[in-house]
Amino acid sequence: MTRPDVIVIGAGVLGASAAFHLAERGYRVVVLERGGPNREGSGTTAGNLHIQAIHTRRPGQEVPVDSARLLPLQRRASDHWAQIEERLGADVELRRGGGFMVAETAVQEEELREKHEWERRAGIPTEVVTGDEARKQLPLLSDRVRAASWCPLDGYANPLLITPAYLTAARRLGAELHAFTPVTGIQRVGDDYKVLSDDRSWTAPVVVNAAGPWITEISALAGVGIQMSPVAIQMHVTVRVPPVMHHLVQHIGEGMSVKQVSAGNLLIGGGWPAAKLDMEGRNTVSVPSMAGNLAQAGRILPFLGDLRLLRMWAGPLAATPDEMPVIGEVPGHPGFFVAGGTYAFTLAPVWGDTLARQIAGEVAADPVDDLGPGRLLYDDATTPVSP
Amino acid sequence: MADLMTGSEADVAVVGGGPAGLHAALVLAQGGLSVVLLDESDTLGGQYYKRRPAQLTAAFGDFRPRGTELIRQVREAEVVVRTGTLVWGAEDAGRTLFTSDVRTGALGRINTRATLAATGAYERSLPFPGWTLPGVVTPGFALHLATMDRVPVGNRVVLAGTGPFLLPVACALLEVGARIEALVELNHPYRPRASALGGTLRQPARLAEAARYLLTLARHGVRVEQGARVLAAYGDTQVTAVDIGHEDGRVRRLETDALCVGFGFRPSTELPRLLGCDTQADPTGTEQLPVVDADGTTSVDGLYVAGDCAGIAGVQAAGVRGQLAAHAILRRLAPERAPAPVAGLRRRARSLDRFAALADRLYPMPATADIPDDTQVCRCEGVSAGEIRQAAETGWNDLHGTKAATRAGMGPCQGRECGHIVAALAGRGSGPNRAAECFAARMPIRPLPMAATVEGQEVP
Repeated sequence: MTRPDVIVIGAGVLGASAAFHLAERGYRVVVLERGGPNREGSGTTAGNLHIQAIHTRRPGQEVPVDSARLLPLQRRASDHWAQIEERLGADVELRRGGGFMVAETAVQEEELREKHEWERRAGIPTEVVTGDEARKQLPLLSDRVRAASWCPLDGYANPLLITPAYLTAARRLGAELHAFTPVTGIQRVGDDYKVLSDDRSWTAPVVVNAAGPWITEISALAGVGIQMSPVAIQMHVTVRVPPVMHHLVQHIGEGMSVKQVSAGNLLIGGGWPAAKLDMEGRNTVSVPSMAGNLAQAGRILPFLGDLRLLRMWAGPLAATPDEMPVIGEVPGHPGFFVAGGTYAFTLAPVWGDTLARQIAGEVAADPVDDLGPGRLLYDDATTPVSP
Repeated sequence: MADLMTGSEADVAVVGGGPAGLHAALVLAQGGLSVVLLDESDTLGGQYYKRRPAQLTAAFGDFRPRGTELIRQVREAEVVVRTGTLVWGAEDAGRTLFTSDVRTGALGRINTRATLAATGAYERSLPFPGWTLPGVVTPGFALHLATMDRVPVGNRVVLAGTGPFLLPVACALLEVGARIEALVELNHPYRPRASALGGTLRQPARLAEAARYLLTLARHGVRVEQGARVLAAYGDTQVTAVDIGHEDGRVRRLETDALCVGFGFRPSTELPRLLGCDTQADPTGTEQLPVVDADGTTSVDGLYVAGDCAGIAGVQAAGVRGQLAAHAILRRLAPERAPAPVAGLRRRARSLDRFAALADRLYPMPATADIPDDTQVCRCEGVSAGEIRQAAETGWNDLHGTKAATRAGMGPCQGRECGHIVAALAGRGSGPNRAAECFAARMPIRPLPMAATVEGQEVP
């Protein structure tokens, strides 16, 4: 299929979700992936389903997320995730065990209450409980926990399963996946875009750039300057243990997320910075981040001290300069769409649906105009025209 | 981090207290450098010169006295010996090593000017139906029980696989009273064709050693059956029978209570690979070996590799390579000293390398293609050969994608046991990027107790 309706660049969770939602509507879709699918940020992320407000900054993050702004989208994501296994016909180890966001200080507790108010307005069920009440539900929490906000909708899905599940479902609906196919050029041919990978090419009226940390490079091929601020963050995983907790545990003051995955391993993250982002090779982990993340997680969940750390890894995060997601058509470049930014895992089903609606000329389920790529444009070159 | 981990300094860190590490540490210390010698186990010696417990030494004598002497010299040369110390990570070309006390879990860090990785090798296992049954062990484990604890691994032992190592294991088992039901060698090394003999003449000592073992076995009525292999092991809670397949298609079932199967050794290369050292595929195409010159110099400035970690060549070669690497480090870090002549060591190393190459020709590996689909390959995560083949055949998955899709290699052994097999099976897929691969080396190199990080120590 060299003349599909839509060319999706990037087989991470966003590209895969977009391919699925488009294929479901009958579009003929080609997905191009520079390496193996799901190998970068989407496959190395924590797999958290953040339904209560995110709020916390990653260590080293300069600009805060506008948490309140994202809540309607998280609410929508929650509904999508509830049906995802049925819709894709796949087990993605979805768990909705609920989540605690803990506070250790009075100031942090106050933040929990403020956050709870935003959530109430967005229709997200949360409650602020005392440390003792939280410990009654999850006795593994330490005495350091003074208060916590509880959201029954928080959860986890296996990041190694969701992207392949989207891709498999999309392929069942006729989509084509070309792995190990790096995009090397994008040209304008009439009203269409011709996307090249060395001597191969595909031509379509619509291109979705879901290339994660490579969004800038791919956009540049089309003469579109989009500013991103990719970083590498790291994750830690312990050996397997019998089931001990089914909650997602986060911290309002510091980057921290802990949960036990279906296989039994405890996954510890929180967006701590890796030593080095290497977009051509392997990202390097940071031992100080490891020590910091584990110490902090162990302060909240002391039982972690009895476990052994099995692996750690670093993966890229396609952050934007304002830390907000980016989604939509590039102004001045009709048919050229971009999707990326932080919390792409939780929002993947929403973004797939939103892109499909935008491409069909429909109104998005939730307004996202303020999240469009226009705000990130840094010059207005034009797409090279095919010779 | 400074206040997070107890730091220490040395000119050179030698990781691994086996033959290569001991020889290197001795040369380095005698050359006037401060040396810290690190080993995960609680005694020096590595696998070859491992220490017998005092009671057994009293009763049965010293085990490999050359090792005892070497260790004595190393201690006398004021090498700082840190046994029970796991090196779980490294950065900055090995000039920073992260350690963990095996007993207390306390974290440490060592800053050095050069690091020598002498981390040795693992036994190579290849899966077959029934290989995960209790009673199926590696020859090395059987040897350890026989020599360290004077305990036979079973009463009716079947030894199989390939490699010269099966012979001393069989002899050690006989010595502790085990009965060898069969000694099954996959290849035909013991009546080598004339073309293979050329290399052996330069190493008469090694040939004599093999001949001695064969003689001992013959005296006990044990015959090496060549060109035969284990097809499957059977048993309920413990191995009770094994099928041996012969080249003529004949299958023989033997009763056994201990089946030892091994296919030689695989270098333990995590540390040099973690530090980004250039690698190349070994002759089997499923291992990535550090690229080294005659002195064990790697592509990473300041990182040296010696012993089986740089390619399997045995104990003699490990000692020689360790000394060569030590002299190279001395020339680098103590240029004011008159360099020691190394031409003799280099000649000896070349000769031993030829012998190792001969062994590679005499004992080739069997094809992984023969592993049945329903045989478990990754025993930590319970992943079968068929599942791995299926993931690879999508065309989307290279080795890393195959790991992600199947969980093969994600368990507590971190892929050490199965990595080479997963690589071989995943390499059979039809997609692009089929170059020889292996699982990435990551920190922690071994599962790391988290107690020290989680308790007590403050984040700076």
